[in-house]
Amino acid sequence: MGGAAISSHGLACAPPAAVPLNPRARRASAAGHRSSPRLLLRSDLPPPAVLCRARSQSSSSSNVNFGRGDDADKLLEDLLKQHGEVVYSSGASPAAEADDDAECLSFAVSLAKAASEIKAADIRVLCVKRLVYWTRFFIILTAFSNAQIDAISSKMRDIGEKQFSKVASGDTKPNSWTLLDFGDVVVHIFLPQQRAFYNLEEFYGNATPIELPFDTQWQ
Amino acid sequence: MIQPQTLLNVADNSGARKLMCIRVIGAAGNQRYARIGDVIVAVIKDAVPQMPLERSEVIRAVIVQFKCEDGIIIRYDDNAAVIIDQKGNPKGTRVFGAIAEELRELNFTKIVSLAPEVL
Repeated sequence: MGGAAISSHGLACAPPAAVPLNPRARRASAAGHRSSPRLLLRSDLPPPAVLCRARSQSSSSSNVNFGRGDDADKLLEDLLKQHGEVVYSSGASPAAEADDDAECLSFAVSLAKAASEIKAADIRVLCVKRLVYWTRFFIILTAFSNAQIDAISSKMRDIGEKQFSKVASGDTKPNSWTLLDFGDVVVHIFLPQQRAFYNLEEFYGNATPIELPFDTQWQ
Repeated sequence: MIQPQTLLNVADNSGARKLMCIRVIGAAGNQRYARIGDVIVAVIKDAVPQMPLERSEVIRAVIVQFKCEDGIIIRYDDNAAVIIDQKGNPKGTRVFGAIAEELRELNFTKIVSLAPEVL
């Protein structure tokens, strides 16, 4: 019974372990040739872990009747020989990190959506996590007047405080380059001239652009 | 320790090369020196030709690199500043050199986002 329970647990465990691979692989393919080797390496990492888990569970389920200590030692030695060179980060688990990223991403997308409702133009959401360590997502958008900038920034602050409980620092008054700093998400609101002058997209050209679920080219 | 008459380098592509501090903004007491993240009023002592900023122009600047070691994690080799306008927007479009992360807490995230390296 116990063995069956464990093996069924292992089976049930397998699909969620396999599911996160797909978005990563897709992102790696979407990221383009420049960043693909690193991402491919990363996407290569999980299979050994999955294998380990599957093997340890299956072997523990099959070895329930035998003495456990020796088998466990042997198993660990084998695993060390096979995957000993793989180093995992000791801090947060990759799943927790992915959860964090997903939350930030949903926050960024909802901010971009709010901006598009107030008719901001040319909205770009960039994942700059690989380039700089101090933030994760940039939102760059163009507004056409100070009143519009004020509307966009106040709406973004509202969304951040009410839905995601994040308080923005940065500019409080509309400016030709208004910046809202939510910690993991940094919003840059430009007037058209300033956007061309500072040209932040070119500076962060290696960042991964994120597809938005709505039309960003408002004319 | 940056005080009036101190000469500073410029760490951006605005066109100025050398600044001389003439006032530390917010120096309320009888003595206050500027350090990383403080705004100063400065005069341009040397500038690149054919650029919008000229010699002997009075501008505002933020200290981004600081020689002395007073409670700050990084000590730089020189004193350098980034030129800003009255509203806090940088005059240049790119910042050179490594920038301390403390600038972000002091609401100069624009300068941090233009920097190639943040420590």
